[in-house]
Amino acid sequence: MKKVLGKIILVGVTVIAAIAMLYPTFRAYNLESIQKGYLQRAKSAKSPADSLAIMESFKKQYGEALLKAKNSQLKLGLDLRGGMYVTLEVDVAKLIEETASKEQIDETFEQVIAKTKEEAKNTDQDVIDIFLKNFNAIARPKGKSLISYFDFGNVRDLSDDKIIDKLREDQKQAIDQALEVLRQRIDQYGVAEPNIQKQGTNRILMELPGVSNVTEMRSLLQTTARLEFKLVKNNKQIVEFFARIDKFLHDRKAGIPETNNVQDTTKATVQNADIAKSENKKTAETKLEKKTEKLEKDSIAKDSTVLVKDSTKTKDSTDPYAGLPKEEAARKYLEDHPFTRLFTTYYAPQQKNAKIVPIYYTSSQFPEGEYMFKILEDSIPKFNEILNRPEIKAMMPADLQIAIDAKPDQRFLKQNVKVFDFYSLKKEPELTGDVITDALATYDPTNNAPMVTMAMNSDGAERWAKITGANLQKRIAIVLDDRVYSAPVVQSKISGGNSQITGMANAEEARLLEIVLKAGALKAPVQIIEERIVGPSLGEDSIRNGVTASIIAALAVVLFMFIYYSVGGLVADFAVILNIVLMLGILASLGGTLSLPGIAGIILTLGMAVDANVLIYERIREELKKGRSLKSAIDEGFSKALSAIMDSNITTFITGLILYYFGSGPIQGFALTLMIGIIMTLFTAILISRSIIEMIISNGASHFGFGQKKLDTIK
Amino acid sequence: MQFFEKTNIDFVTRRNAWVIFSVSIILVGFLTAFIFPPKFGIDYTGGSEIAVAFKNNINTDQIRNAVNKVGYKNSEIKSFGETNQFLIRVQDLGDAQSKIQTALQGISNNTFTILKVDKIGAKIGSELRFQAFIAVLLAIIAMLIYIGFRFEFTFGLGAIIALVHDVFVVITFVLVFNALGIMDLEINQQILAAVLTVVGYSVNDTVIIFDRIRENQDLHKGMNFLKLANLSINETLSRTINTVATVVITLVVLLAFGGPVLEGFAFTMLIGILTGTYSSVFIATNFVIWYQEKVQKIDLESGWKAEKEKSAKAIKTA
Repeated sequence: MKKVLGKIILVGVTVIAAIAMLYPTFRAYNLESIQKGYLQRAKSAKSPADSLAIMESFKKQYGEALLKAKNSQLKLGLDLRGGMYVTLEVDVAKLIEETASKEQIDETFEQVIAKTKEEAKNTDQDVIDIFLKNFNAIARPKGKSLISYFDFGNVRDLSDDKIIDKLREDQKQAIDQALEVLRQRIDQYGVAEPNIQKQGTNRILMELPGVSNVTEMRSLLQTTARLEFKLVKNNKQIVEFFARIDKFLHDRKAGIPETNNVQDTTKATVQNADIAKSENKKTAETKLEKKTEKLEKDSIAKDSTVLVKDSTKTKDSTDPYAGLPKEEAARKYLEDHPFTRLFTTYYAPQQKNAKIVPIYYTSSQFPEGEYMFKILEDSIPKFNEILNRPEIKAMMPADLQIAIDAKPDQRFLKQNVKVFDFYSLKKEPELTGDVITDALATYDPTNNAPMVTMAMNSDGAERWAKITGANLQKRIAIVLDDRVYSAPVVQSKISGGNSQITGMANAEEARLLEIVLKAGALKAPVQIIEERIVGPSLGEDSIRNGVTASIIAALAVVLFMFIYYSVGGLVADFAVILNIVLMLGILASLGGTLSLPGIAGIILTLGMAVDANVLIYERIREELKKGRSLKSAIDEGFSKALSAIMDSNITTFITGLILYYFGSGPIQGFALTLMIGIIMTLFTAILISRSIIEMIISNGASHFGFGQKKLDTIK
Repeated sequence: MQFFEKTNIDFVTRRNAWVIFSVSIILVGFLTAFIFPPKFGIDYTGGSEIAVAFKNNINTDQIRNAVNKVGYKNSEIKSFGETNQFLIRVQDLGDAQSKIQTALQGISNNTFTILKVDKIGAKIGSELRFQAFIAVLLAIIAMLIYIGFRFEFTFGLGAIIALVHDVFVVITFVLVFNALGIMDLEINQQILAAVLTVVGYSVNDTVIIFDRIRENQDLHKGMNFLKLANLSINETLSRTINTVATVVITLVVLLAFGGPVLEGFAFTMLIGILTGTYSSVFIATNFVIWYQEKVQKIDLESGWKAEKEKSAKAIKTA
């Protein structure tokens, strides 16, 4: 009996595990159909604000559950769900051309580049190698060396080897930079669950599910990034503009239903207040924020009265909410400030060593000085939506633009909140990135903090000196594709073009900034070399056909096994179905993708799993014919079939392994499912089927239907 | 239920005939390949391919005319899956999609939706081809090593011969069927996946027969190898047929209900599975016999003849 219990547990646990691994997939599927309903409603909503509200209510109710389910669901390949698949390649020949000193380029060099480009088109060879080969063949005989064309300014003892090293380094940087730029763009474009990865030294693979506007996507991918330096104008003017938006929206409330869930927005403010707390606790990032003592009102988080108290603290005198009960005051504040309640504003008075304090928009009087803005990720869509309304755009100060940080604030990430800084920038850039000759992430020798050094060409250095001289103690934002990567404070006039940027939270952030700064120095255009688009209708058809076919096939196999092997066949059926469910579950938990070749892998597994059971049962039948007792025939059958099952599965597994390592995308998908399938086959056919059969005969039965002739057992 | 009682079919005596049969099929394949050069899919040639579904009836000429007008003189147009669905293929890599879209919009009284677009640079195409080739080659070598290690080197060789045979036969069928216009089969990633599956399956099948030979070698020491091989094939026959039956069921269903995307895959697999089974039974073991006789110079035939005479006598006397 004890033995049986163990077997029941083994089978039970496996079944539960299989179901648990696939549950998120079902859940995600369900939630997505709910989401579709919401989307439908949002689409037919009257205004963008309404549709945003509808989507927000979905997010509130199901957002987290959907995210969780999606993270561990079985993803479908683009061939099954529709979307765009792109392979991009960094144009290394162009990179070499751009890196060479403009003044030195002559006909010989152009010849080398042209030949390199031509050859690179058709081979898989490293482009730098091709370039070298051509350079040696064409330019060397004319007495030229690489030094004649490349000048890296700050590199000492320049030699041909060093130039090649540098080019290789640049190539590596170029791909990282392209990756970063593309990620940001895809993110902003709003592609759900994109898969972006580096392949080899100069390629990027992208899977963009659901993208249908291909032309737009294509231009999005192939535009070179634009790096600019812009002055930060987080001043009184912009805060007043924000206050005007509040007033405008509030006055025009009729058309725009705002605050429909007071409690929830209060929560948001509380969270904002939380930010305020930690904001003041954190160590100084820039000179803007000297380390401050704790804000007197730590209770902000718990108590929304602070809104009232705080408003009395700011210099203006009138408090519109005086005398109101706490909750009422908070509710009213949120209602009165439909725009500014989306984010938190801080004020840094101009005098030195002043503390940074949160500011509330309770009056229209704002002090001169620097402001800071922080916004939660969830509020960004609403924020952008309001700013993009034509009537609001018209109110915007003409020379300013709003730009959000590219990455959430590192310090809050640890607390699991995504907080972004945003800035008001002077629209006209002070300087564009093409003056940058080099950038390097390193460590500050004095305190070992990460920092980035940046070098400029002579023209840039001259202008940079002027700019920094005129903007001492002000912030200049480093903007790539309209996203702010850093907004350092100018400490001193920088002449000579060599600058240091400090204040990164970690080395990773510094490295990112290096990559971004190089977007100016490296002209590394990417080109699409492979593009596959599967229309959503074809994707749907494929899924439907695939699922129908698989179910019919599975039923047919199940029926065949039952007819041929009777009860044994049913056990095998159970094992095989469990096998497939386990395979899908494991694929889901490994974060794998199910595509067409993957289905091929499953079919092969289906065949092999049935085969393993057939092998065993045929053996058991043979042994029964020889006159063995049921128990010993089963034992013999399993043990004799084992070597055949093992050898055949291991051979196939080896195939899978090699295909996985040497194959590309679709072949890899096939190999992965095949390998998972083989392991599961061994497990289910040998352990699970046997446990079930032994469970059934554990009461001492002398007959078990393997489809053998009755005569054999009656003997 | 049982399809086969204890069988005693002679699989080995006519081994030369089987080999000739297989070789001739492969020769047909080569001939076909020369007469109708293999058609590589866009995966391996590069170019742009657009699948569209029209709402109303339309024929390929109408589409070709429209596409000609925007400058694609040698476009290739063929039906894709259901009625009024077409594949349009051009060599151009530029903005072929939007050009063709404009061209098709010019067709009156009809609307269309784009089902899929594939655009592949020539470089990627040749790379994918090379990669696939290397992967298959390495897989074959690794299997040779494993089977050689688990059985004997000769067996490994036999399994590989059977496998290569299968790949050739499958490709022959693909070429012939495509050339005769029975089915639209180009050598593309899907066909490759099918061939890989066949490779895995074929080896699986062969190994199971070899496993039985290995077991019987221990069980019946000193038995003539021809008899031993024949016995092993017969003993595993029931298993072979049943497994093939289940896989064939799956594939026939897939072929019937799987839709245009899975069609090529299912067909290629079906041919491959049948060939794989045939080669496991008729080619792999017979190769091992041939190797033992011709390379290792072992006289198996006389012993086998004696065996057969003995059993013939036994039947007579009975």
